Amino acid sequence: MSRLVPKAPSACSDLPLDNAEICHKLILLKELLTSSFGPTGKLKQIHNNIGGHVVLTSTSSVLLQAISSSQHFVNLIKTSILNHVSRFSDCGLFAAVLCLTLVELAKQSGLAENVSVRLNKYFLDLCVSYMQGEDCGCRVKLDFSNSHNLITLARSVISSKPACMLTVQEVLHISKLAVQAFLLTLPCDKPGTITLGRTVTITVEGYSVLNSEVFTGLLVDVTCDLCLNRAINLNSGALPVVVFSTSLAGDFSELGEGIIEVLAGVDSESQILEQLLELGKQVVKDDVKLFVCQKVIHPVLQQYMRSQGIIVMERLGVNLMEPIIQLTGAQPVATLHSTIPASAYGKVMGISIKQIGSKTMLHLQPTRESVICTLVLCHRNETVLRELKLVCQKTEHVLRLALKDPAALLGGGCTETLLAAYIRHKCNEAEAAAQLRCSQSEYLLGMEVFCHSLEYVAKALDHDGGDSLIDLNHAHHWNQPVETMKNSLEYSLGNCGCGLLRNSPGMKWTYLNTAYSPFSASSSSADPTAQPRVLDSFTAKLNALQVAVETANLALDIRFIIQDLN
Amino acid sequence: MSGLPGENESAVGDGQKHWIMSILVEDVEMLQVDQPHFQHVLQIVSALEAVVLRSFGPNGGQVLFTKDTGEAIVTRSGTRILTALRLKHPLARMVVDCVWKHSRATGDGSKNFILLLASLLRMFQTALQTTTAWRLAYELREFGMMKLDEIICLGVLPYGFCAKLENDPLDTHYLCVKKLLTPFFQTRLGQTHCDMISHLTCEFLMRSRVANNHPSSGLHFVYTNFPALHTTVSGVPVTCSRLIEGQVIHSDFAVHFPQTDKQPVKAVVFTQHVQPKLLGEGDILTVGFEDQAFKKKSIVEFTAWSEKSLQLVFASLQSFGVSVLLSAVKQSAAFLALAAQAEMCVVECVSEDELSLFARLSRTAPVLDCCAIEAVNVATLTFCCPLTLGVQRYVHVAFPHSEQDVVVNLSSLVICGSGKEQTDQYASAFQDSIRMLLTTYEPRGTTTLSDERTCLLTDEKTESASSSAPDLQQHVLDSCCVVPAGGAFEILLSRALLQHGDKYPVSRLLSDALLSVSRHICTQTSGRFSPAQAKVLTQCDGFSSKAVMSGSSLESVSCKHILLQSVLWCATSLLRVDKILYTHVVLNTDSQKSAGDSWDDTG
Repeated sequence: MSRLVPKAPSACSDLPLDNAEICHKLILLKELLTSSFGPTGKLKQIHNNIGGHVVLTSTSSVLLQAISSSQHFVNLIKTSILNHVSRFSDCGLFAAVLCLTLVELAKQSGLAENVSVRLNKYFLDLCVSYMQGEDCGCRVKLDFSNSHNLITLARSVISSKPACMLTVQEVLHISKLAVQAFLLTLPCDKPGTITLGRTVTITVEGYSVLNSEVFTGLLVDVTCDLCLNRAINLNSGALPVVVFSTSLAGDFSELGEGIIEVLAGVDSESQILEQLLELGKQVVKDDVKLFVCQKVIHPVLQQYMRSQGIIVMERLGVNLMEPIIQLTGAQPVATLHSTIPASAYGKVMGISIKQIGSKTMLHLQPTRESVICTLVLCHRNETVLRELKLVCQKTEHVLRLALKDPAALLGGGCTETLLAAYIRHKCNEAEAAAQLRCSQSEYLLGMEVFCHSLEYVAKALDHDGGDSLIDLNHAHHWNQPVETMKNSLEYSLGNCGCGLLRNSPGMKWTYLNTAYSPFSASSSSADPTAQPRVLDSFTAKLNALQVAVETANLALDIRFIIQDLN
Repeated sequence: MSGLPGENESAVGDGQKHWIMSILVEDVEMLQVDQPHFQHVLQIVSALEAVVLRSFGPNGGQVLFTKDTGEAIVTRSGTRILTALRLKHPLARMVVDCVWKHSRATGDGSKNFILLLASLLRMFQTALQTTTAWRLAYELREFGMMKLDEIICLGVLPYGFCAKLENDPLDTHYLCVKKLLTPFFQTRLGQTHCDMISHLTCEFLMRSRVANNHPSSGLHFVYTNFPALHTTVSGVPVTCSRLIEGQVIHSDFAVHFPQTDKQPVKAVVFTQHVQPKLLGEGDILTVGFEDQAFKKKSIVEFTAWSEKSLQLVFASLQSFGVSVLLSAVKQSAAFLALAAQAEMCVVECVSEDELSLFARLSRTAPVLDCCAIEAVNVATLTFCCPLTLGVQRYVHVAFPHSEQDVVVNLSSLVICGSGKEQTDQYASAFQDSIRMLLTTYEPRGTTTLSDERTCLLTDEKTESASSSAPDLQQHVLDSCCVVPAGGAFEILLSRALLQHGDKYPVSRLLSDALLSVSRHICTQTSGRFSPAQAKVLTQCDGFSSKAVMSGSSLESVSCKHILLQSVLWCATSLLRVDKILYTHVVLNTDSQKSAGDSWDDTG
């Protein structure tokens, strides 16, 4: 009874979006994320107060995880975006900036919240059906027989993460490696449901990025010198492999919790060791050349097998088990008392030594076409290397997403301006307002909020004080650098944001924050051979758009906050 | 002492430190006078009404409920909001308790409950000038028991449409279900997605029919198995929510082999460790013991025996052609390795709910004795494959169709949302909607309802009172009557109360209260009250089942009936409280001050 504490009543606050503190925090968050957005985004350094790693990043997943607000309202938006990133790896900042801008502009517009929510949903549906439709001007079909578009897609992802500190040449090199590694994990021969392989990433510090490489098969760290000398001889023919998933140290952890009483004169340890050596003898008899164990191997057993010319790898860890099983085709063994069935043995084509930087690695080459490959990433220091590894994993994920839906979207802000122009063009306020049960002026106001938010995201790509423009033929996004602002538009503009269009005579532009009369964007480019130079993942961006609008709607819809103080 | 609320919860401290609303801050001493006491009750209920109104109706907003642990809940559910407030005042807690019990029984109507209660108490305010609270409470209860059912039968049922399940062909039935679900989801999830969600729920229920049985048993099946029948996915828009054939097991494969060439797939369920644990806690194994029968035993032989028995289990599994093993617990490394060698898939740590659903759908039993696996343990599946939803990998199984199928076409529900808060909100709304449909189509008998009531009112002779008019009440509940949603029930009943209930003074009060609730509802839907009222009445006057069914949304009379009875009971109990006793319990927060206990002198 004495431990009983009465529950404190909860603290309540009304209309969170009217709360000055919450609004201020939302604006702060928006500015922070906007400034990190895109290839020229400003980097953020994250420190903690107890002297952990210093992280240098502009990636949404790292940034948002580091931010924690005392306002749960802000956290609600944050977790929503993080959920998207964990699922799609890309377009996190796009979603966050769009969501926060929508909330801010909708609040400023003075529209009733429920009207805003309905209108946002309506415009979102319009965008989604346009993006999925046949006559979509911002979607590009991806062709897997030609790696050009794949490399463009990979390069867009990698170059949008400036914290990797890569030069143009290095970005291209890493993009090519990422696409190569991705293609190596695709099985080609099997019809029906396919299982994708794995890319194992290894990082090496202190070398130039251009030293990075992709290998088929697996590279495994080895520390023991003994096995290395022999390894050089094993370069030809299919070599039998056995993989153990249980401990071979001679302990009996699976026996249970009871007590074992050993009578005097009985040497249990030698009995156990004898049993292990039996196993060793069978392995030698079966001509196994590589002996792999996930856990620890008894030193005597190790010594015995080495003396018989077997390469022994112990303490492999659970992470490498799956790739090694896929690579060799072996089945893990966990029984010690029965003979190892022949079907459990796997094979490798060759074992060799690779010296990469300071690391000595054992290279296991696959027998036939294998879906396992190793990506070795080099960079100058640990912080940027960590970001590079993250970016490569994200790139792989984005490329995999493209397998399901082989399409990409024009990058560089062009998709956003195109969508805004499409909505303005499609606008039919009389009909839609009746359908949405709102007045025509509310409809127009809501449309401006939505289009301005999209255009704001396109504008956010520029961080150097340049101007953002939209052309009035194709509705692509153009950027006028600050140093050419004095010149007239015709002379200062080069390519549009995605690189599909070139400045040509007869083009008209208008600044993004000015009103223009609605027009139907023509999708045909002046030059049919032109290829976009910046592409975004279709699946990721479509989802990001939906999540951003849904999260903004949720934020607009919250009228009351109850905080449990217990 | 009898009518004292919050008796069990008298461990309330003396202090009233801070209330969520300034109007709730009142001095305890005030409660000792009769008239201000009623004011106090009214103030409490009005404060609750103010909170609930924020999220009332299709245009209402949501409430974010956060905990210091970082957990957040987004909700429109009245019950969730009210319980989250953690109110301290015993009367407020009693009201919240009544709401909670009501919504647990019907799944719906918690916000309506508060609105009706508040309006009713406001009507009483004027009535109390001429009569006492005790008298009023008595009349109210008498009226609720004796007359209300009759008035509903006379004044509301003729205008409704009977949606009995047996009468209808399936498509009409599900049309009606959909029209019941639409207004429910409008108030629970907002307007943007309610159409899509109600369509999905309808489809889900249609597929989960229980063959050769009363349609409501399908509802029961879904309601009880809902945790195993749905999967939430965050980070994906709500519009991606869908149905998938078969059952989703919420664990990943520990060992996986594609089951492409094996048709059909055979599966077995284990609930315990298959490899025998040699030594339990406290057991002693003596190694090196010499025995005439066993000769010299070494520890190696014990482990060899353990492995041997495991191999025998696998041999027996292979003789049945089994290729999928489901286990409730984590199995040993040897088990996994042997399964891999036999090319069997293994799924570990499957929850009990899912295993019991699996057993029911496959009509098999889990293996109890690993040494004796029989045909009754072997389930037949059409497929068993990995399924990636969001970032999670699950196992997807489906069962072959057959004549004696338990469920016609079982599907699992995948609920998507941009965050966990939203998917949780959708999941709880789904479950409540099924509860609501159950109340509509298969209301529980009078006895269970009385049981619910006895919880609300402490020691009255509920059974004897309700038995005086059980037939009428049963008639109301059995009719499965539906009326157009959006205030029609309230308007019809308030009109009927004026026509038929003139002998009872409370009838007029109740009529006014209902009218004021319908005003709230109608302002939500069309902005102004009187035209909407006129519309509802003209619609209902020229009634026919077709006219009712042509509307886009319906609500159930039995749900409303239960709501009305619960509100009347709650109001009665509130009126009958005379004094509140604050007893003092010494807590570890060492408050030395003794509470000024007040005596209950009414007896």
